[in-house]
Amino acid sequence: MTEYFGTTVADIFATMPKRFKPEEAKEVDIAIGYEATGEGGGKWKATIKHGTLKVETVEGELTGCKTTIHTDAETFVGVTLGKISALDALSSQKLRVAGDPKFLMLLLPKIFTPYAAPAKKPDAVTARDIIATLAERFRPEKAEGVAMTIGYDLAGEGGGKWTIVIRDGKCAVREGLADPLTVKMTMEAKTYAGMMVGTIEAVTAFTSGQVKIEGDMAAAAATAKYFRKYVVPGATEAEELISLRVTNSIEQRFATGPVMGRWFAGIREKKFLANRCPKCGRTQIPPREICAWCRVRVHEFVEVGPKGVVTHFDIVYFASPDPLTGAVRDTPYATVYVVLDGATEREAITVDLKKEDIPRLKEGARVRPVWAAVTTGSYRDLIGVELDEEEGSL
Amino acid sequence: MKMHAKNRNVAIIGIGQTSLSSHKEDQNQAEMVHEAVRNALADAGLKIGDIDCIVHGNMELFEMQFAPDLWHSLGTGAYGKDEYRITTGGTTGATLVCAADNLVASGLYNTVLAIGMEKLQEGNTTGGITNMADPLWFRNLQTGALTGTTAQEMIDEFGEERAKRAAMRYRIMMDKHAMLNQRAHRRFGLEYSQMEDLMANSPPLVGELRLIHMCSQSDGACAMIFTSEEKVKQGTKNPPVWIRDHIQVHREETIPNLFGFNKPEVTHHLAARKLFARNGIQDPVAYFDVFEMYDPSAWWAVDWLREFFLLKGDEHLRMLEAGDFDLDGRIPINPSGGVIASNPIGATAMLRLAEAALQIRGDAGGHQIKKEVRHALASGFGGTFWSVLMILEKELNWQEVNHD
Repeated sequence: MTEYFGTTVADIFATMPKRFKPEEAKEVDIAIGYEATGEGGGKWKATIKHGTLKVETVEGELTGCKTTIHTDAETFVGVTLGKISALDALSSQKLRVAGDPKFLMLLLPKIFTPYAAPAKKPDAVTARDIIATLAERFRPEKAEGVAMTIGYDLAGEGGGKWTIVIRDGKCAVREGLADPLTVKMTMEAKTYAGMMVGTIEAVTAFTSGQVKIEGDMAAAAATAKYFRKYVVPGATEAEELISLRVTNSIEQRFATGPVMGRWFAGIREKKFLANRCPKCGRTQIPPREICAWCRVRVHEFVEVGPKGVVTHFDIVYFASPDPLTGAVRDTPYATVYVVLDGATEREAITVDLKKEDIPRLKEGARVRPVWAAVTTGSYRDLIGVELDEEEGSL
Repeated sequence: MKMHAKNRNVAIIGIGQTSLSSHKEDQNQAEMVHEAVRNALADAGLKIGDIDCIVHGNMELFEMQFAPDLWHSLGTGAYGKDEYRITTGGTTGATLVCAADNLVASGLYNTVLAIGMEKLQEGNTTGGITNMADPLWFRNLQTGALTGTTAQEMIDEFGEERAKRAAMRYRIMMDKHAMLNQRAHRRFGLEYSQMEDLMANSPPLVGELRLIHMCSQSDGACAMIFTSEEKVKQGTKNPPVWIRDHIQVHREETIPNLFGFNKPEVTHHLAARKLFARNGIQDPVAYFDVFEMYDPSAWWAVDWLREFFLLKGDEHLRMLEAGDFDLDGRIPINPSGGVIASNPIGATAMLRLAEAALQIRGDAGGHQIKKEVRHALASGFGGTFWSVLMILEKELNWQEVNHD
């Protein structure tokens, strides 16, 4: 299987059941189809139903999926590992989602723990390369009073025989095996390299017989501390980067003032109250103390509406959070700009349109307000507007 | 008395940027700011001791960090110096440059360092913008800076096919520019052959505004150093870039006021009209050699080109279609890749100025315009269609225009 970023698409699906969090998926009932094209790709289907998960490979068409993800194998692995931003992949169309991408982006991190790539084999690094760096990695401060000779007999490509002499706070590396030795270690060169770069665990290698130790076992175990850890050239040590998570929740209250306050007092009575500029005649919505165009005080209140005309509208597909409730908005919804009857031409209000009316929404449509069952003098009193079709304007 | 007459001339003498990316977990905010400041000082050949005053800007609501200038003071070098903080939404970066220009021109300070920064990944930008300027209205529906109304207006005016192609042509052009800018955040490698596919299949956000049309959310910082003409005469490490004039239109009105039966004069048009008139610029397309425009989306960008250049009818579309705005075109737009490619908001508008100044110096690198750049225009955008527009010049030789 072709690897990208050190992992394969198949690895990701193979570990899915292990990464699944059933307790987070109790309410979930969805089948997700995956198509990864190119080398190392394939088709998979993940069926999540009330806390259970079934992952299967699919030959032929992906059927019965609520949502399907289409991408190339490299992008799929990159996005899964966080090497490629999901939003960027979506934007550039390298990743396509049939269905609701926002929903998937919220759901998947909730019900799966992130996939971590298996450690990469140090193909390029040989035992010989590592032995060559021993002297420079030596830590004399850790080897005070230590006198020992360590022999390495490493078979296979990149291997050889070496003796490391530690004495008087100095370290020397020589070709060949000296006699006598404090301890002699025999293994495959690639096993040694694996242990040094951290892809093979030393204890496991010894227990499984891959490493043969003759002589002082304690000395063998102690050698690591006399040297700084080997780092693959060009690779930087992955440093732990801590990010702190904070959620701010702030209770706020805003004074509406005596002028704008009339607007809220009005909608409590299911009336729209604007104030009219004595100079230019505009009906300010919401009412304000002065007309910013004419820079004069505005005193006269007039009732406008309750019906009006849609001047512009937005059909919103992006499910952003509602800052008033914290809940993710139900999409699509229609934001409509309405000029109420009797209001001057620029004094639009921005309101929600009843969902069922969206398919019939047009610029110029007549609308009427939809009020909350109980009105309290808040922006929540006006739920939105609905099409006013009785008048025959549509 | 002349309006907006400058007490003394002001030049940009140092420019520093960080790379711009989706997240910078290897730096905290102060460290990121410090990287930009260090780069600007090195570019100017100055030490922090040469700076008389610091102007700091970001949108604190985006990261929800109160008094960020305090946290950042070790990064900015503001410790023990005069400092101002500016927070004007999307225009922040441009307002910072206006403020620095005014501070030096006034004679109160000789050398001023301005810093714009944002780490959008540390907060919630759309949530921040949705917590509107007016706390009493419209929050239940607002979706940050996402809107499809301009797309609809352009479709109504020019027809669906032409309008959609224009927006996508602009988007791909920006990506081609970003591909040349090593610092840019989003570099997709888009080709014009993908136009139809992207038009049909990029996920819709609002109306015909699709994911591909919209700007990124980036982390990054920009720092710029300004000094007086007298100081410039004592010698600068790099050629100075002169700030000829700037205008800010922060017009009070609620957003819905823009969407009644008729539209007020767009602030960009108002800013351009007044700025060009008082500088005697009759034909901005002919006069300027580059325009770094604050382009939050491809639809807005195409529409605003008409406003900023005071064009009529479909002139802007014809220019776009003819390649006039390409990197080697008549009047290149955003050689840097623009806001669509990289958008660390508090730094975004300053990056327009920084990139325009680098073009004049000839130091833009991979995205340098081939022909000589002598006159540059740069804009900032934010709030309820606020607009900031600034003219940069290579030579200190423009004609003063009398405007009483």
